[in-house]
Amino acid sequence: MSSPAADRASPARRRELALLLLGLPALLLLGVLFAWPVLRLLSMSVADGTLHQLERVVLDELYVQVLFESLKIAGLVTVICLALAYPVALWLTKAGRIGLTLGMFALLLPFWTSVLVRTYAWMVLLGRSGVINRMLRDLGIIEYPLPLLHNLGGVLIGMVHVLVPYMVFPIYAALLRIDPDLPRAAEGLGASRWAIFRRVILPLSLPGVAAGCALVFVLSLGFFITPALLGGGQVMMIAMLIEQQVRELLDWPFAAALSAVLLAVTLVVYAAIGRLTKGARLASP
Amino acid sequence: MRQFTGRRPWILAGSGLAAGLLSPAIVSAQTTPPKPDRIVVNASGGAMNSIFRRSYFAAFERLHGIRVVDTSPVDFGKLRAMVESGNPEWTCTEIGGQDAMRAKEMNLLEPLDTSVVDRSDYPENARDSHVLTSSAYTTALGYRTDAFPNGSQPKGWAEFWDVRRFPGPRSLRNHPADNLEFALLADGVPMDQLYPLDLDRAFRSLDKIRPHITVWWSAGAQPAQLLVDREVVLASGWNGRFYELTRRGAPVATEFTGGSLKSGSFGIPRGTRQAYWGQRFMAVMTQPELQAVYTTEMGYPGLNRRTMDFVPAELIPLMCTAPGNIEKQFWLDVAWWTANAAIAQERWNRWMLRR
Repeated sequence: MSSPAADRASPARRRELALLLLGLPALLLLGVLFAWPVLRLLSMSVADGTLHQLERVVLDELYVQVLFESLKIAGLVTVICLALAYPVALWLTKAGRIGLTLGMFALLLPFWTSVLVRTYAWMVLLGRSGVINRMLRDLGIIEYPLPLLHNLGGVLIGMVHVLVPYMVFPIYAALLRIDPDLPRAAEGLGASRWAIFRRVILPLSLPGVAAGCALVFVLSLGFFITPALLGGGQVMMIAMLIEQQVRELLDWPFAAALSAVLLAVTLVVYAAIGRLTKGARLASP
Repeated sequence: MRQFTGRRPWILAGSGLAAGLLSPAIVSAQTTPPKPDRIVVNASGGAMNSIFRRSYFAAFERLHGIRVVDTSPVDFGKLRAMVESGNPEWTCTEIGGQDAMRAKEMNLLEPLDTSVVDRSDYPENARDSHVLTSSAYTTALGYRTDAFPNGSQPKGWAEFWDVRRFPGPRSLRNHPADNLEFALLADGVPMDQLYPLDLDRAFRSLDKIRPHITVWWSAGAQPAQLLVDREVVLASGWNGRFYELTRRGAPVATEFTGGSLKSGSFGIPRGTRQAYWGQRFMAVMTQPELQAVYTTEMGYPGLNRRTMDFVPAELIPLMCTAPGNIEKQFWLDVAWWTANAAIAQERWNRWMLRR
């Protein structure tokens, strides 16, 4: 004899179990191919039984400074991507079929081109005698070439170009999920277009914004080819130092310690973004 | 031979099965191990691999009927990971100049079978037990001939440092190797007294040139590109990249004075399944006629003394080992860099970060 409440719960629980089974292969794959190697890598940083490698990272001004520089760049890239991506996502929801196809094509095209090729393309465009500087000079707007490349600006341009689609798609998806009756109701109640955007559309799209920001921020932290090539040595990111330790100096325990610190910082930022947008998620249907 | 290649895997599988079933006596009676359908050679990639294909790969395939699959890039970390995993994918691999001796010391390489890999025509100091010295190259000074016409380019690093007599934006590599040596040469240290490097003095010297370096390059293709795009007028770089531009008629030439000579190396990752065929591939790589194809295309001379006999005479002055060029350069001290790479790199990172 079971209580009626348990009877009602058991089909739901069974469904939950079935869903878990569906996800199991993916979870196993992630566990074997991702979680396990990551754990092994992290354990290398303390393989000698001390926290010496981790201390080297956190007590050394060099690595702390590079870490902050990386966070700063990742933050800048995220903000610029957001500013560029939100209007595009909004436009995509309103665009007709041709606009949508063209927009999607323009966003997806970069995905099919390697990061290295795109980075070299930017070098051709942004260089001292590159396409942009030559055009501006021919038009008489500038006399001396603008320093567009081999500095922080060049790195930001290159990284934003790679990462903007990662911001557009989550926001676009969130905007699509908004019930079209809601803005219509607001309009019926006399809200201005700005008020509709600020009080209906924007709050409801925040989960997408949060997802996009988290994605772009985390991916930015791992960049090393683009900053190395477009930064011309003026920009140093933590991933570049990890690559140096892994491939050149073969100090894997230290590379593991650097990775561990980067991972910890990433998780903290991730949690902070989650916390910040919790309210927004509760508000969404 | 050719028409059987499609069937070889089946023959192979059959012979493997037979070897497994029959008595060991028969197996050991075979002098050559069964032919695999392929070996994997890892090298720098790009133009280099396509020239390898035309020279060494084609010759090996003709000789042994085994396909050569090439991979890239050269990656010391990956080599170590492969050997430690016990099943290296590569049959042979190129190893970056500074890393070859380290690879040997870390026991990552199979010893070379001297009865197969004949290096009697090699210089004495290029006959290592584990490492095949495949070619020589140098980090030299590339310059635009329109900025410095008629031999008015800086000759040596003291003149590269002299920004008043030789104005214009410059590029150096974002790496301590070579640059520390160049900085010391610029500061007046004689070429034969560079090592052990005086780091303090080197960085003090680098402080002086720093404001004039507009780009610190990190990929080998960059210096050539920077010169062609007029981004800079002077750049350090691997001589093969400049050689290619000069041959194609671009206004770029190479100044060898103060160049940092190194050798490119190949090795057989320890524990690779096809080590036997790896030795035979290495043997193919020592042949002067084939080295000449590579030397002519890349500008990186092979080490076999007879190689130059097969290189067009007009190209010989562009080679880093040509008489007249080699005397003006120094050999990078691989042992010093092996021992001090980590310290030098960390100081370099610190120095780069300080603005």
